[in-house]
Amino acid sequence: MTATYTKNHTTAAFDGLLDPMLPQTATIKRIQQETLDTATYSLAFTDPAVAERYRFLPGQFNMLYLPGIGEVAISISSDPGQPESLLHTVREAGNVTGAMARLKKGDLIGVRGPYGSAWPVEMAENHDLILVSGGIGLAPLRSAIYHVIRHRDRYKQVTILVGARSPADLLYQEEYETWREFNIEVVITVDRADESWRGHVGVVPMMFYKLRPDPRRTIVLSCGPEIMMRFVIYEALARRIPKDKIYLSLERNMKCAVGFCGHCQYGPFFLCKEGPVLSFDRVEPFFGVEEF
Amino acid sequence: MSEQSLQKAPGQALPTGKQIVIAKGDLQQIFEALGAAGYTIVGPTIHQEAIVYEEINRVDDLPIGWTDKQGPGHYRLLPRDDGRFFGYGVGPNTWKKFLYPSQLTLFRTGRNGDGFVTNSEQEVPQYAFIGARACELAAIAMQDRIFLEGAIQEPHYRARRERAFILAVNCTEPGATCFCHSMGVGPVNETGFDLALTELDDTFLIAVGSDVGADMLAGCAWRPAGTFELDKARLCLDESKKKMGRIMETTDLPGLLYDNLDHPRWDETAERCLSCMNCTLVCPTCFCVDVQDVSDLTGEQTERVRLWDSCFNPDFSYVHGGNIRPTIRSRYRQWLSHKLASWIDQFGASGCVGCGRCITWCPVGIDLTEEIAVIRGEQI
Amino acid sequence: MPRETLTDILSQNPWFQPLEPAHFEKLLAIAAINSWEDGQTIFAEGAIDDHLYLILEGRVALDKSIPGQGRVTILTLGPSEIFGWSAVVPVVGTRTATARTVGPTRVVAFDSAALRQACDDDHDLGYLVFRRLTNIIAGRLSATRLQLLDMYAGPRK
Repeated sequence: MTATYTKNHTTAAFDGLLDPMLPQTATIKRIQQETLDTATYSLAFTDPAVAERYRFLPGQFNMLYLPGIGEVAISISSDPGQPESLLHTVREAGNVTGAMARLKKGDLIGVRGPYGSAWPVEMAENHDLILVSGGIGLAPLRSAIYHVIRHRDRYKQVTILVGARSPADLLYQEEYETWREFNIEVVITVDRADESWRGHVGVVPMMFYKLRPDPRRTIVLSCGPEIMMRFVIYEALARRIPKDKIYLSLERNMKCAVGFCGHCQYGPFFLCKEGPVLSFDRVEPFFGVEEF
Repeated sequence: MSEQSLQKAPGQALPTGKQIVIAKGDLQQIFEALGAAGYTIVGPTIHQEAIVYEEINRVDDLPIGWTDKQGPGHYRLLPRDDGRFFGYGVGPNTWKKFLYPSQLTLFRTGRNGDGFVTNSEQEVPQYAFIGARACELAAIAMQDRIFLEGAIQEPHYRARRERAFILAVNCTEPGATCFCHSMGVGPVNETGFDLALTELDDTFLIAVGSDVGADMLAGCAWRPAGTFELDKARLCLDESKKKMGRIMETTDLPGLLYDNLDHPRWDETAERCLSCMNCTLVCPTCFCVDVQDVSDLTGEQTERVRLWDSCFNPDFSYVHGGNIRPTIRSRYRQWLSHKLASWIDQFGASGCVGCGRCITWCPVGIDLTEEIAVIRGEQI
Repeated sequence: MPRETLTDILSQNPWFQPLEPAHFEKLLAIAAINSWEDGQTIFAEGAIDDHLYLILEGRVALDKSIPGQGRVTILTLGPSEIFGWSAVVPVVGTRTATARTVGPTRVVAFDSAALRQACDDDHDLGYLVFRRLTNIIAGRLSATRLQLLDMYAGPRK
């Protein structure tokens, strides 16, 4: 889609309400290939008034739209302090993301949002933070990392545990040193590697064995496959970190992102409204119930 | 009834709360007033051997002199011998057919020279619902909560809802699968209507619920309701409460269901359930939808369409790693625990209004009142 | 290695600190410190077992050789972690992976035959050693299962 995309929807039929199902248009400013099947898209709204107004909180997501193909919920992985540069890391997994993989710089894409709950970055001030990511789970955590870096003095000890399937699947590798420069411990591990890898090999929850968190002032933020998060919770609880200080970003398929289609429900929680970020004490009754 | 006791009083505003009496034939006057005011009248009528909600024009289109016999997986129409206008329960349709239609285009995009234009303009119908029962009004009130009282409003529902006229009927003939009384929502309509009607032998007792409702009575010959009518109505409706086919014990349903997510009953019911989605289609509060983007062959014109969906749909819930609920057991559990438990956490009241449709229209006759009784009785 | 230095090192290590002096002495007697440079093989897949190792400094990678894939690293371990436990709890008669150093590494090596003998002679010591080993193996098993699930992989079609 290289043509310009203008929006001309009338709201008169709805008595002046802004329809939350209508996307804004954005241009792809840059595409960075992260791994074989994952790329980060940098988007900018075409309407300067929209770009001016748009704000998001770390952990929230947008619905990205390709007309005639569909929409997909993608977390925002850029710096909330720089809302004019919107970054979305997308893995090819289905129809919409597959079509996105064929887009080029300059192409147009629909964006609506932001939706969902945020990482508790304010509540976490004056605490130690442990961020644990698995695979593409680093994408929604990165917006929190940028926020912490921007306000580094508000947080105490900050550790990031990054897990991936193999070294080739690690996201944002060129940024880890930068994060370390801000007095953040970054521990990288992969599930398997060949001899050329000189880092850790082992599942990311096991990296907790390198830490000595103070349960009185530690907050854990985690995002990754649900089974990984189950082990992370176990390790955090074993170190007596309270359940309401462990935050997870949960995932389910989304259609509307505004709490009407019902698909993203997880027990009583709509992951597009009360989630995707939820503290473990709230989801505990359902986490691990088979096929819930 | 003497002619003198009925007076036409056009221009004299009937206040909300006033109870009046009209001859049954005058219902046609209300229909005509609604038609003249631009309403599309929808109400019960017989189609394919069931009482459904379709567009009707005359009072004669109503299933006058008919009743229904309902049971688990069972629905039959039978003739009455008393010519009652509303002597039946609820059928497979609900008012969500009109307020939240099964298929709706949300917006269209089309090429416009070098660009695309998005258009969400659409005509909004103005409906008059005839014969809405207390359970249905409770369901509409619940959907109002879902679509209008959250942080984001659903504009299509709102547009239809604001324009809708409701002529409610108080149930004097609850069915064998009804349990609205257990759910605290019926059989009497207390609020949420423009007019509410109780059928007596020769007359309709009508409560005025709004100014618009009062306006529609302009062509009727009415008189104020007397003690005779009010007492008769109260008697019938009290009897109605006792004639409910079923009861549901609602004490701490969320606690009961959250504590019993692994109860063996789910396995037993899964053996019977076909995952056919009937229950969610006939339920007046179920709101899950799918959203599909479609385009024409050239890709120049695209549309986003909203369609009814169901949590019984096998791919309803999935993540990148696969399907969350591949078995019927987990999908049935999701439906029931949502309807009776997590719904309350989400919206402050139960998602079930006791209309009994899911029991009647389940092809294998699964009865949620029985499911709950079993889980209570054998609580782990 | 002078015994005094070995004593100093071991008594500062969290593994040895809680031990009673008698048990400490028994383990000291069968321990030796080995130093390795980057990229050396401590033991090779298929070799005969004879030592249990505790890492003091550095990193050890456990590799398996898979025909058609070459060498795959399945686990890395760091300071205070144990490897080579199959020497004490034999299942297969030979090593099931190659232990390779990543960077300069120092380990404590325990003669596994002597360790088993010491445990047979002193059941209290034996209980402590095997309790520790069981904890490690359980943790390793749990982590291995997670690796087995290949949780980052896409949907099974």
